[in-house]
Amino acid sequence: MSTTGAPETAPDATPSTGLAERILPRGLRRDEESRLARRIEDCRAQGRPALVGYLPAGYPTVEQSVAAAVALGKNGADVIEIGIPYSDPVMDGPVIQAATTEALANGFHVSDVFTVVRAVAEQTDAVPVVMTYWNPVLQTGVAEFARRLSEAGGAGIITPDLIPDEAGEWFAASEEHGLDRIFLVAPSTTRERMDMTVQAASGFVYAVSVMGVTGARDRVSSAAEDVVARARAAGAPRVCVGLGVSTREHVLEIGAYADGVIVGTALVRALGEGGPEAVGRLAAELAGRAG
Amino acid sequence: MTQQDTGTVLDRIIEGVREDFEERRASVSLQQLQRAAGEQTPALDAEAALRGADPASVQVIAEVKRSSPSKGALAEISDPAQLAAAYERGGASAISVLTERRRFGGSLADLDAVRRAVGIPVLRKDFVVEEYQVWEARAHGADLVLLIVAALDDAALARLLELTHHLGMHALVETHTEEEIDRAVAVGARIIGVNTRNLKTLDVDVNTFGRLARRLPREAVVVAESGVVGEDQIRLYAGHGANAVLAGEALVTAEDPAQQISRFREVGALARAEHLAGATPPAAQEEYAAQQAAAPAADPRPGDESLRHAPGPYFGDFGGRWMPESLVAALDELTETFEKARTDEDFLAEFTALSRDYSGRPSLLTEAERFGAELGVRVFLKREDLNHTGSHKINNVLGQALLARRMGKTRLIAETGAGQHGVATATAAALFGMECCVYMGEEDTRRQALNVARMRLLGAEVVAVTNGSRTLKDAINEALRDWVASVDTTHYLLGTAAGPHPFPAMVRYFHEQIGEEARAQILEQAGRLPDAVTACVGGGSNAIGIFHGFLDDASVELYGNEAGGDGVSTGRHAATISLGRPGVLHGAKTFLMQDTDGQTVESHSISAGLDYPAVGPEHSYLHSIGRVKYEAVTDEQAMDAFRLLCRTEGIIPAIESSHALAGAREVAARWVAELGPEAAAEKIIVVSLSGRGDKDVATAAEWFDMLPDDSHEERVAQKGEQL
Repeated sequence: MSTTGAPETAPDATPSTGLAERILPRGLRRDEESRLARRIEDCRAQGRPALVGYLPAGYPTVEQSVAAAVALGKNGADVIEIGIPYSDPVMDGPVIQAATTEALANGFHVSDVFTVVRAVAEQTDAVPVVMTYWNPVLQTGVAEFARRLSEAGGAGIITPDLIPDEAGEWFAASEEHGLDRIFLVAPSTTRERMDMTVQAASGFVYAVSVMGVTGARDRVSSAAEDVVARARAAGAPRVCVGLGVSTREHVLEIGAYADGVIVGTALVRALGEGGPEAVGRLAAELAGRAG
Repeated sequence: MTQQDTGTVLDRIIEGVREDFEERRASVSLQQLQRAAGEQTPALDAEAALRGADPASVQVIAEVKRSSPSKGALAEISDPAQLAAAYERGGASAISVLTERRRFGGSLADLDAVRRAVGIPVLRKDFVVEEYQVWEARAHGADLVLLIVAALDDAALARLLELTHHLGMHALVETHTEEEIDRAVAVGARIIGVNTRNLKTLDVDVNTFGRLARRLPREAVVVAESGVVGEDQIRLYAGHGANAVLAGEALVTAEDPAQQISRFREVGALARAEHLAGATPPAAQEEYAAQQAAAPAADPRPGDESLRHAPGPYFGDFGGRWMPESLVAALDELTETFEKARTDEDFLAEFTALSRDYSGRPSLLTEAERFGAELGVRVFLKREDLNHTGSHKINNVLGQALLARRMGKTRLIAETGAGQHGVATATAAALFGMECCVYMGEEDTRRQALNVARMRLLGAEVVAVTNGSRTLKDAINEALRDWVASVDTTHYLLGTAAGPHPFPAMVRYFHEQIGEEARAQILEQAGRLPDAVTACVGGGSNAIGIFHGFLDDASVELYGNEAGGDGVSTGRHAATISLGRPGVLHGAKTFLMQDTDGQTVESHSISAGLDYPAVGPEHSYLHSIGRVKYEAVTDEQAMDAFRLLCRTEGIIPAIESSHALAGAREVAARWVAELGPEAAAEKIIVVSLSGRGDKDVATAAEWFDMLPDDSHEERVAQKGEQL
């Protein structure tokens, strides 16, 4: 039996309504008017996909990462994911691994992420969110992390290794501090998990385009369009696609069916090779601003 | 009126205290006390003793306490002096003696007895509201008195403190709130205690200390009081800057109070060093310490619920599935396949037949008579080293390979540290005709070059992982990355009882036969259950397998021996439970070696198989309820036990398993000391001999300096040593 591809019905006829009821807190709210939601809706109104750019905080240094994130925000990114470098990044490919390892070696601390978020919020029009593996949040304290993120001007958290099944504390903290919960869905996500995860998420749903880790790829997997369609069918108002996106052509191609396009590795590589200016140039190119 | 009306339990206690000392005053006048005080040897410098010589050290005030209003009678203390002397030997910096009679069962006679028995400062712990009591303390040889801010108005507090100092003593000025701290500072308190027990509710909230610690003046000696049920609270208090910690019940109820104090000092010093470096204890650690203090291990389970066959995904607060969504479908499929298989007779028959005809089960239980004689107890070895491929790993590998075949997977991937699990997986892949890829940290491929060759001989591809610390944890990361991209055709054959659900419960299931066999065999051979079982713990699969057979036998003490590396105080170790904190890694909530930011810290051990900074979640749970004791064994202790087994039994054990042998040696030494040689000789320890030591010959030969200078083997082994 294949685990990729969408099973039409849940295996073994487990009632498909049960999962969301079992896992999600009663009365969980999704703020359709959040800053993040509105920004993506604005892009839709302009007839284009939102450009979501990822950069790790502290790479190569905290100052440089601030400069790079600001350049990204001033050159066409609508949403900026600030990553927290982590010792065991199981969802990341070699480029991002190397960058975050360098950031840690240069003395990055988790609290530095709020510095970068604040800079993006204050110096650009882009909406900052944090992308992080869960243990650093758990150690800071989920409620405390949410409070500080909100205070710094952050809009939500993307959680690559936190599924709604384990997100009890995060549901409570995100509601209290008005933060969006951006969960991931994948080509392997079953229909009942798709329903549940879409209900759990707010801001947008992060559709993983391919079974694999982060990294620029020549072609964006055709699985992406299917994941987006299934997320929409499950009721997701906004779906953005990530993993493997690196060029303006990808942006246009994905923009035809998704609400946003997420670029990571290509930007990190640009930062490593050409500093914040190169990030700005690539962002402008991806946004279709370059000549 | 010197006393404050507190509106708490204090009022009633103090009422009784007043009645009692008025009675004493009727027979011993103040003048008599003053004379007696004048004849006492001068008070010891308790402030210096509690501050300690090294700023990064943490001092323990060990308390002699017979009962308490919140707990009732604690332990029969027949001889307070003997207990206090044991505390002093264990490294206590001061002894606290409860002298209140009505609620705490104490007396001045206890104080006198302790004073005569020890040469360190003694605290008279009572409810002091009058000068008479301060004189009384000095007359009975106390060096320290307790002044409870909540019970005194400012004038009385100042007066009593001044008298205390005038008599050459110090006062532990106890506070509960920010306001009380300000009052203590205002009267010039030099030793300030923060009691985390709420006077109104009598509940302990250990997080009170961290909240209040910020308000304490730098120059004061800070003492944390209440809520110490074990090392977790010591770590928390020291991590928030406590110079000293007052421990009572945790010591009175400990099997070996002296050892407990030295552990407290050790873990306290590590946490205080982090505090001095500017870090604060992480939230998950605070939460765990608070939970443990609120519900101490005394009654972990309702009724007599069995601990066996815990199904997951959670073991208490540990376990779960902290994993990318991409892998959840595969984990669900695996869970479902496993749940069906365990009740499927065909599957069970197949697994049993393979275990018997291919691995050679059941493994023997061998009495190690000469080794046991050296230790002073009877020792039986559970011989997992005799299984095909030389360790317990094959049990789990055969089980999972059967499941992989049922799921239609054609490729197995695995991580390996020492290479034992990689070899076992490559073996199963060859047997089942599957493709196999093993991820191994680059450093480990060098340490275990022969095992790399074995895997390749068996047809497996071995990928040297060059990320991160290049050891087992990075091999797991890389295997997970492979799995995300290949999950359609590939089964990730995780080698230990860790990771996301269903792995911890499933891997344990395949190893349960170790404990079930051992239990039946010891009943057969010795006619009774053992007194203790020891097993080494890295991820902890052999340990959970053998413990499983004995979890519900309350009389059997269970010990998990973690890798203490160069020693737990050096930072170069893999003693995850002894020194880690709760967190999330590789899919499970469990104890981890991590810094205060939640970044995984590199582990170290001479044994590659134990060199892992996390541990299976069920072990974290068994630790949290106190069913299994986890103790660290250093490289040196392990290698000494390794040599002893070689020389006395003709068995070369894996260095991993040597940690369990050394653990047994520690347990035996305690019994010999406590019970005497004759009684100890009747005691029985079953040791999980999880693997054979052929793979470790180069490392051991180098350790014992047995290789000719400049031989090829020496160069290889030295490389290993440098890692």
